[in-house]
Parts: sequence; C-alpha cells; structure tokens
Amino acid sequence: MNIDYSLFFRAMQPESLLIEAALAIIILDLTVMRRKDLSARLNVASLVGALAVALAAVLALRNGAMGEILNGVLNLDTLAVATRVGVLGLTLLVLGIGTGGARIRNPAEYVVIVLCAAVGFMLMASAQQLLLVFLALELASLSLYVLAGFDKSRPESAEAGLKYFLFGGMAAAFLLFGFSLLYGLTGTLDLPGMSVVMAATGFHPMLAVAMVMILVGFGYKAAAAPFHLWAPDAYQGAPAPAAAFIASASKLAGFVLFTRLLWGSASQGQMLGATPGWVPVVWLLAGASMLVGNLAALAQSNVRRLLAYSAIAHAGALLLGVIASGRSGPGPLFFYLTTYGIATAGAFGVFHVLENQGGAQKLKDLAGLHRRSPLLAGCLMVFILSLAGVPPLSGFFGKFAVFAAALSPAGLGSPTGWLAVFAIAMSAVGLYYYLLILKEALVRPAAAGATAVKVPAAAALTLVAAAGLTLIFGMFPSLLLRWF
Amino acid sequence: MSAHPHASLALFLLVAVGFPLAALMVARLWFRFFQPARPGATKQDVYECGVAPTGDSWIQFKAHYYLYALLFLVFDVEVLFLLPFAVAFTGLPAGALVAMLAFMLLLAEGLVWAWHRGHLDWS
Repeated sequence: MNIDYSLFFRAMQPESLLIEAALAIIILDLTVMRRKDLSARLNVASLVGALAVALAAVLALRNGAMGEILNGVLNLDTLAVATRVGVLGLTLLVLGIGTGGARIRNPAEYVVIVLCAAVGFMLMASAQQLLLVFLALELASLSLYVLAGFDKSRPESAEAGLKYFLFGGMAAAFLLFGFSLLYGLTGTLDLPGMSVVMAATGFHPMLAVAMVMILVGFGYKAAAAPFHLWAPDAYQGAPAPAAAFIASASKLAGFVLFTRLLWGSASQGQMLGATPGWVPVVWLLAGASMLVGNLAALAQSNVRRLLAYSAIAHAGALLLGVIASGRSGPGPLFFYLTTYGIATAGAFGVFHVLENQGGAQKLKDLAGLHRRSPLLAGCLMVFILSLAGVPPLSGFFGKFAVFAAALSPAGLGSPTGWLAVFAIAMSAVGLYYYLLILKEALVRPAAAGATAVKVPAAAALTLVAAAGLTLIFGMFPSLLLRWF
Repeated sequence: MSAHPHASLALFLLVAVGFPLAALMVARLWFRFFQPARPGATKQDVYECGVAPTGDSWIQFKAHYYLYALLFLVFDVEVLFLLPFAVAFTGLPAGALVAMLAFMLLLAEGLVWAWHRGHLDWS
C-alpha cells in the first residue's frame, strides 16, 4: 500500500492550521496575557482564533477539490470543500458573537475547544471511512459537550452540558453498534467498498438492524423527533455562542456526513440509500420532526427554547432535503444548511448580546428592542424572517430549493412529494411563532426603565456581516449553488 | 446435518445466563427454607473487613484523581512515541530530532497548562 504523505499533509493544511492556532492560543494565554483581565484575554484569543479560521478557509479554497486522499480514507470533493468553508465561516461567526461577554472564566480554553470542534466538523465533511467518520464525529461532539457546559457558574449550563453529554453518548453507542454491524456484514470500512459489497450480496436482515441503529444515532445528533428531547434544554442552558455552534456548524457537518453515508458522491454512485428501507424511515423522522418542532414551538415563552424547537422543525425539512439529494445532488441541501446556520447563529448572537446586558431570555424581555438598539432589532428581523422563509432572504430560497428538489422527480406521485407539501404547510405554522418574536422586538414598547443596549464592536460587525450574507445569498443564490 | 458455525455461541449464551440464575435461585431457596430472619444492629452494620466501623459510610471524598490520570496520559503518549524514535535514532536525520523536540514541547505545554491553572494543587 503506497501512501502519498505530501498530498495528505497538503490536504490537511486547514485542519493542522487550526490545531496549531489552538496550541498558540494556550501558549499566549499562559505567557503574554497572564496578568490581563478576562475580557482582554477572550478578545485576544478570539482574534487569533478568527485569523486562523480565516486563513484556513483561504487554504481550503486554494487547495480546492483534491479528490481521494490516503487511499480513499478522505474524499475532498466539491461538497467537502464547500462544507469545510461553510464550517469555517460559521466558526468565524460564533467566535465573533462570543466576544464582549466577559462571563466566561476560561476564555482561551473556550476558543481552543471551538477550534477543536471545527476540526472535527471539517473531518466529518470529508471522511469516507467508518473509523474516521466516528472519530471525527466524537471529536466534534466531545468538544460541543464541553462548550455546552462551559459556563460552570450557572447550574443551567451544567445541566445543558450533562444532558447533551448523556444523550450524545447514547447516540454514539447506537451509531458505533450500527457501524460495527455494517462492518461485520460487508467486511470493509470504506464507504464506497461497502456499497459495492452490499449491491453484490443483496439485502440481509442484519442490515435492517444496522440501519435502525445508525438512524437512531444520527437522529439524536441532529435533534430529529422523536430523539429531540435533549435539544430544548441544551439550547436553553448552554452559553449562547455554544448553542449557536451546536445549531449551525454541527448541523451543517452532520447532515453533510449523513447525506454522504446515504448517497455517496456523484462519482461513486449510490451508497446505503440504494438499499431498501432507508428512505421510508428517514421520511418518517422528517415528518415527525416538522410536526413536533413546529407545534411545540407555538407554546414557548423562552426565546432559546423557541429556537430549539424551530431547530427541530428545520431538522425535519433538512431530512427531506437529504432524501431529495439522492436525485438532485447535495446543492439544495447545502444551501439550506448554510443559510439556516447563518440565520440561527445570528439570532443566538443577538440574544447573547442582550443576555450580557440583562441576563434575560423571555420573549417579553425583547420588548422595545427597536428603541433600545435599532441595529440589533434590524439584524434580528433579518435572521428571524430568513428562518421563517420570507422572500428576499436566503431562508426562502433554501426552502424553495429543497422543496423543489423533493417535488421535481415525481411531483405528488411519490411520498416525498407529499412530505414536501406537508413541509410547506408546516412553514406557515412556523411563520406564526417567528412573527411572535418580531412582534415583541419591533412593535411592543419598551418596559419602563429599559436602557439602551450597548453592542460590542466585534459582535456588531459579525452580526451585520451575517445579516448581509443572509440578504445576499437570498438575492443571488447562485453564489452558493454554482459550486455544485 | 451440520451445526451453524455460531451454534456454540448460543450454547455459551445459555450457560452464561443460566449459571448465575441457577446460583441465585439456590441462594434464594436456601434463604427461604433454612435461614431464620433475625435482623440486628450488628448484622445490618457496614462491613469493613471485620474491623468495627467508624463514622458514616456516606462521606464526601475528593474526586480529583482523574486529573492526575489525564496528566499521566501526557507522559504515556510521550513514551509511546519516544521508544520507537529512540530505537531508530542513529539512522535518523537531524530534522527528526527537531520534530521530536517540537512534539515533546507540545506535550510539555499540556503539563505547563495544568500546572498554571492550579490542577496540581492538592488542597
């Protein structure tokens, strides 16, 4: 077996850069920044991290689609490159909104763990072998558990971290069991080789067990109903940037990985999705998620819980996109994931700034935001309307692309088409609770004694950039779609 | 008729489940028919290797050991990579030595980090 290590090192440049930056941040924090106060340490660590992330994105773009690396362990196709850049962009967004909040006790470690999670996501985007898939998934998940429980001084954060950890650990066990059955059935760990063996041997009853295990595992990780129970508590208790990271970059990498597992890439032909039984189960998960997420969100009075249920509903629509991408390619799904990630991370960013000033999470605490901070109110409007799928914003085009991809093969002649119709109906339900947020923020007068909100410069810049991207991707969707 | 290659596994499973169940059942029957039920203060006491117990068994203790286990891992990994390096040392170029030094420095950073954050203080 001949391995081209120079090619491998070149392909791994972005990941290595992030790890080096993480080590450098710790060294900086231990030496130069030792005597500084918390917010200065957080700002310096975030700045170094953000620079490294931006440079890594440039490297990932410059390297481009390199094809198979390490005898097919990694596959850097177009989707992988796009996902890497998307993950890095969302990481940048999360780092940007995280600054200015001096409540974190270990700022350097926080940035380091964000970078580690980003490396996990990037590996998930390109992994082609079950071992690497699992390792990347666990690197990302373990980092996210720590991030969810990072604000040790608040019991809610510890609760979020513990719940996320317990559910995630369970999901990992299911996933690993499913992977081990797949390995036992096919005798290979490579995904393409696996699909070749399976096409030759046909359906085996054990494959159904493996399929259910893997779907349960991914269902937990993606917070799809009925495996969504951890999500509201985790989103509510975790520090806002961590929740934004869980809701955005983790979704992007996770769904790309799942799509790859089901459908493979264009050059490889179909993978597990071609074997019977997968699609109907994913179909059920998608429908249940949209139903549960949208209906439960109607009853929420806490904005973070509301966003969590909205995330569950979006997970349903994304699963529909996963089914559809078997025919249409991953373009619509990727567009939806990216724009949803930007919008939801941006909304969490707005709430993070507000919480730093008042420490409140209730819907009614948003009252009078248009007076207290027009900038935040404007950004929030863009993000929420994009989540709701209102036209010129990118959320609309994401939904449009996914639903069109689901409807185009057979119209209403297939169950997928009917699921798309159901998703459209559920989007109308979603519009109601999204507008509830906006009603509080834009219409209701401020409570007596409410003061103006001071937005930290870095957070303001990040939020405006995210809102701008939401608008631009909505008006020029080909900017993202032309990659596919 | 030839047995399935994994038939022995089924037998193994049967014995694995059956043996403990049988033992527990025997203990249960023994308790039922031969053992008089006479609870007392001495019988219900905490068992400490035959020594008279002192104090409560529900005490708090410092769950601090895991940090030392993690730090041990730093050196463990270091040795794991140093051994093959040392064996092949004479045939390696100078670049390998520099790479190894960088690797050791990075691992040392972990120790410095833990030290600086006060994880080595036992109080």
